[in-house]
Amino acid sequence: MVAVTSYIIVSAALLGIGIYGLTVKKNAIRILFAIEIIVNAANLNFAAFTRYMNPPQVSGQVIVFYSIAAAAMEAAVGLALILVAFRINSTIDVRKLSKLKG
Amino acid sequence: MVLLPPTPAEIVALIIAIVTSHTFVTIVFFPGFIHLALIVIILTWYERKLLARIQLRIGPLYAGGPGGILQPMADGVKLIFKEVMIPYKANKPLFLGVPLMLVFLAALPFAVIPFGQNWVIANLDVGLIFVFAMTSLFPSMILLFAWASNSKYPFLGGLRSLFQQVAYEIPMWISALSVVMLAGSLNLMDIVYAQSKMWFIIPALLSFIVFFIAILAELERLPFDLPEAEPELVAGWFTESSGAIFMVIFMALYMKLYLMASLVTTLFLGGWWGPGPLPQPVWFIIKTLIVATFIIIPRGVYPRLRVDLLIKLGWTRLLIIAIANVFLTILLINSGILSSWGLP
Amino acid sequence: MALISIPPDITFIVLAVVTIIGSIIALQAKELIYGAVALAVSFIGIAGFFVFLDAPYLAMLQIAIYVGAIVVLILFTIMLVRREVMDELTDTPEHGEGTAGLWLAGLLAVAIAGVAALAGPDLPTQPKPADLRVSDLGPVLAIQYPIPLIILALLMSAALLGALVLAKLER
Repeated sequence: MVAVTSYIIVSAALLGIGIYGLTVKKNAIRILFAIEIIVNAANLNFAAFTRYMNPPQVSGQVIVFYSIAAAAMEAAVGLALILVAFRINSTIDVRKLSKLKG
Repeated sequence: MVLLPPTPAEIVALIIAIVTSHTFVTIVFFPGFIHLALIVIILTWYERKLLARIQLRIGPLYAGGPGGILQPMADGVKLIFKEVMIPYKANKPLFLGVPLMLVFLAALPFAVIPFGQNWVIANLDVGLIFVFAMTSLFPSMILLFAWASNSKYPFLGGLRSLFQQVAYEIPMWISALSVVMLAGSLNLMDIVYAQSKMWFIIPALLSFIVFFIAILAELERLPFDLPEAEPELVAGWFTESSGAIFMVIFMALYMKLYLMASLVTTLFLGGWWGPGPLPQPVWFIIKTLIVATFIIIPRGVYPRLRVDLLIKLGWTRLLIIAIANVFLTILLINSGILSSWGLP
Repeated sequence: MALISIPPDITFIVLAVVTIIGSIIALQAKELIYGAVALAVSFIGIAGFFVFLDAPYLAMLQIAIYVGAIVVLILFTIMLVRREVMDELTDTPEHGEGTAGLWLAGLLAVAIAGVAALAGPDLPTQPKPADLRVSDLGPVLAIQYPIPLIILALLMSAALLGALVLAKLER
């Protein structure tokens, strides 16, 4: 089958894509996309390592389970924050929002 | 290793082996495409006749055969020949692609529902969660289609539909949780096997009631009909669909109805167990059609629920009943009453 | 079907391509809704990876929670933010920050992948045959690690209350 290094390479590629989106994009919702991509990369890494351990364990899957739940909560609260920020400032550009004006 | 091209005799033998293999037969014929298409067509006719009789009318009568049995064919032909009107500045890829995804999503969970001891396409160990995952994708498709229609009434209808379906998914799956606790497995085949002595509707009566009400809301059937109500929002989220697109969405809705009815049969009514000489899939289909009848009947009987009361009902009353039911089931299992009835 | 079998390498490559291209389109698409749909495709790719890694329960949870709930929330938020605001917010990078971001992300990804590739011979290449069942997850969740479960439940109630309070703000 596939060596575990391939999973690490895919996970690192997703991490790179996520970090690019996090640092370069100005739209707050795209930054949220990037955060979800990064969390998914980490989940993939955990799941791959827990399968390739000797002997394979189920506890790694529990970590991914908690991670999925925590990411869902973080997305919900993050989107609520974006909506409130939009309501107050009428913009979702993080350059303008980070100035904390008005 | 040199791979020689296969000789024609080998190709014919391979094709015959594939066509007669159990997997192919189940995917294409019995719990697969052809059976689904037939049942969906029969369900549309059945609904119109049933509602007509409840409302003291006759229903389809003239379209060929006795009792208008070819009415769905006539509908299908008419819809195919109608013009597909795409609204001004609507999002074409989403508008044309989402209905196909809807049909795909409505048909996919049938791969795990067991119609008989040998009649299941894929006996997944996580079968019930697979159905859960697929039905949780419906609201996003509906929202995408409603947004892609670029028009106010479908968008509002789509939002209301989204709220309603998301609100009633949770009581649905928490009440299915008590069935999983009784059966001890997420595998739908194991759940049906565990009902060999007694159907789960008897120890899990409250879950059956909650599940049934949640299904009525998931399918947007009366009394939870507001997204589709004619005096309110024309036709809800699929207002702008016409012609072939409407036919595809219509088929997806009836496939969802059949899916939910088969889920009720599998979880609560004993799946394919039945006395007597009839083969198991026939028992399954009979029970599913009886459940579908009970899903269709409220449409002719009950008035509509207002949308905020509807959503409040889903999040507050039904959720509390579902959670209380989980505790009740834990109590029943631990106190040993159920094992004395022959359940694990 | 046992008659036609797909070698696992091809499955892995297809899944990897779907996931990575989905996430690239999610960040680069002009229309945010197309980006959200591409993100959903990327999540389904990750769910495919979970199935490939003998974790079917995780795969179904990933689809149900990520694609079924988070993508719906994202779509809903995109639709609530007015369109004029979106159109005038061009996300094309200017002032050289695009190149800086690419270098940063690229170097980081190459560094991690390089460490993995260099440590290659020490890492396992074949997974041991395992009998990971779904029913093994229950005891680990509830009996072996109950405290994270309870903390997660408290966190979830806090997040729910927080989101509700934020929604009621500024009324």
